[in-house]
Amino acid sequence: MQKYITQQNLNTLIDTLIASGTRVVAPRMSAGIPLYEPLDSSVEMVTDQLPRRSAKEAFFPVCEEIMSYEKEGQQIKLTDIDPARFPETVLVGVRPCDAAAIPVLDAVFSWDYKDEFFLERRRKTTVIGLACTTADDACFCTAVGLSPAETRGSDLFLTPLNGGGFACQSYSEKGEALISNNSALFSEPNNAAPLPLAAPQADKIDLKKVKSWLDGHFEDPLWDGIAVRCVGCGACAFVCPACHCFDIVDEGTEKAGKRRKSWDACGFWKFTHHASGHNPRDLQPKRYRNRIMHKFKYYDDKFGQTLCTGCGRCVRVCPVGIDIAAIVEEISKK
Amino acid sequence: MCETNKNIYLPYLTTVVEVIDETPDVRTLRLVFQDEQVRDSFAFRAGQFAEYSAFGAGEATFCIASSPTRTGYIECSFRSVGRVTEELRRLEVGDSMGFRGPYGNSYPIEEFYGKNMVFVAGGIALPPLRTLIWNCLDLRDKFGDITIVYGARAEADLVYKRELQEWQERADVRLVKTVDPGGNGPGWDGKIGFVPTILEETAPSAENTIALVCGPPIMIKFTLPVLEKLGFSDEQVYTTLENRMKCGLGKCGRCNVGNVYVCKDGPVFTAKQIKAMPMEF
Repeated sequence: MQKYITQQNLNTLIDTLIASGTRVVAPRMSAGIPLYEPLDSSVEMVTDQLPRRSAKEAFFPVCEEIMSYEKEGQQIKLTDIDPARFPETVLVGVRPCDAAAIPVLDAVFSWDYKDEFFLERRRKTTVIGLACTTADDACFCTAVGLSPAETRGSDLFLTPLNGGGFACQSYSEKGEALISNNSALFSEPNNAAPLPLAAPQADKIDLKKVKSWLDGHFEDPLWDGIAVRCVGCGACAFVCPACHCFDIVDEGTEKAGKRRKSWDACGFWKFTHHASGHNPRDLQPKRYRNRIMHKFKYYDDKFGQTLCTGCGRCVRVCPVGIDIAAIVEEISKK
Repeated sequence: MCETNKNIYLPYLTTVVEVIDETPDVRTLRLVFQDEQVRDSFAFRAGQFAEYSAFGAGEATFCIASSPTRTGYIECSFRSVGRVTEELRRLEVGDSMGFRGPYGNSYPIEEFYGKNMVFVAGGIALPPLRTLIWNCLDLRDKFGDITIVYGARAEADLVYKRELQEWQERADVRLVKTVDPGGNGPGWDGKIGFVPTILEETAPSAENTIALVCGPPIMIKFTLPVLEKLGFSDEQVYTTLENRMKCGLGKCGRCNVGNVYVCKDGPVFTAKQIKAMPMEF
C-alpha cells in the first residue's frame, strides 16, 4: 500500500498514538544526545541527527529484569516477568541501517529457544523507517549492500518529498493496519519527487570475498596489526545495531534481588574468562578477531547474512580510531 | 509469562538432598526438583549440561554428573573457584537451588552399544564422563570391555573416591587410577605417572572401541597422540568442551570456538570435530 502523509499529519499520528496509550519511540534529544526514546509529544522528535545508539534497545534493553527471587528460610520464591510490561509500541523515524538490523536480531532470538523478552516486544512493535537524506564520513551502509532507502525491517517506510511530507509505503500487515486505522491522516500518493538520498562515500565491499578470506585466515598477522591498539572498552558493541551478546547477572543479596540480562561485549577480557583462570581469548587481538569473524563469517555461516548494517557508529565512537569499514575493505582486497 | 511464551531464563527450583565432599574444594550436590510435575517429566541424556543458580551470586555452568538411568534426582560436582561456586558451596541439605537445563548435545550412546568403552579422565574432569560411565554400567550387557583410566595430581584430588573403590572391586570394569609423581601417599595402591603415559601402558585395544577423554587442555593434548598410536581413529574418540557460558541457549555469544557454539553444537565432540576447530579453546 502506498500513501502520502504530511509532516503535520505524521505529528498528529504520533500524538494520537501517544494519547491512546501506545508507546511511541523516536529519536529525541536526551541531555543533549540524540537517542531513540519514548516521546511525550511529537514536537520532541528530531530527524536530522543519527541517534547515538541504535534502535535495538526498543526490543533488547541495555539492561532488563528477567525474574526476581526472594528467600525465606530454605525456600526460594521466584517471580516471573509479566508480559503485560511490554507495551504496544510504534517506533518512528528509524534509520534504514537500524531497521535492517532488526531482522538480523530476530534470527538470533528466535532460532531454537525463543527469547520472549525480545520476541514479545517485537510482536507488539510497528517499525516506521525513514530514508536518510544526509550521511557523514563514517556512514557505510552502501558498502555492505544496504542503502539510505533500505526498507528491510520496516513495517512502514517514509521517504521525504520535495515540497514537504513523505511518501509512505507499507511492507507488512502491521504497516497496513497502522494506515487503515488512521486512514484520515493519509492521502493518495502524489507526484512530488523524493528529496535526494544521502550518498555515503564508502566504496562497495565484496562481502563474499571478505567471508572467503575469513574462512581461511583465523591465524593471520592482520589481527595483531589492527587490534593491538584496541583498549577493549566495548563501546563499538554497545552502539552497534546488530551486536547482541549479553550477560546474565544477579543484583541483590542472597535474601532478595533481581536477575538481569544486560548488554555485553566480546571486546571485554572477562567475556570469555574461565573461573579456572584460563581464557581462550586472552589477548585483545583475539577478541577483535572474534568481532570481525562474528560479523562477517560466523553469523553468515549460521544465518546467511552479515551482522553489520554499515551505520558507522563504531567508527565514530572508537576512542582509538579503529575503522571496521576500512578493515573489511582491506580484507576484501586480499 | 504464560506457558506458551515461556521465559527461557527462568530456572526450576530444586532442593539439595545430599552434600558430598569429594576433595577439599570439590563438592557434589544431589538435587531433587521441587515441582512434582517436573520431577516426573524431567529427562536428560548423558553429556548434557545445565546452568545452576546461587540466587544473589548468579549462575554457573556444569555438566549433569549423574546418570540418566538414575532417576528422581540429578547431581552436579564443582570446584569452588568463583563467586557462584563459593555460594553454591554454602548450600546445605534442605536449601533451594536453581537449575536451568538440560542443554546441549549428548553422547550418542546408542551408537556405542556392542562396543568396548575406554574412559580417560584427569582431575575434576571426571564428572562429565561419570554420567556416561554409570549409564553404561547400568546397561552393562550392552557394552563390551569397560576400561577407566583416571588420574589426578595427588590422591586427595581424586573425585568420587567411593565410586572408584566400587569400580575397582567390580569384575566387569577395569579401573586404572594414577597420581602424578609425588602425589601418592604411603597407602596408595594405584599407578604413579601422568594420565597419557599410564594410558599408553594400559594399552586398550582400539578394535571395536570408543574412547572418551576429558581433562585439562594439557592432558588432552598429550592423550590424543597416545590414542592415535594405539590405533584409534579420530571418529572413535570423543571429548566434551567447556567454555564460559551465560545463556546456554545459543544466544549470549561467548562460548563459541570459531563458528562452533559449545552450548548448542556441543559440549560433546569427536576428536575429528575438535581438530577441525580453530585453536581457540
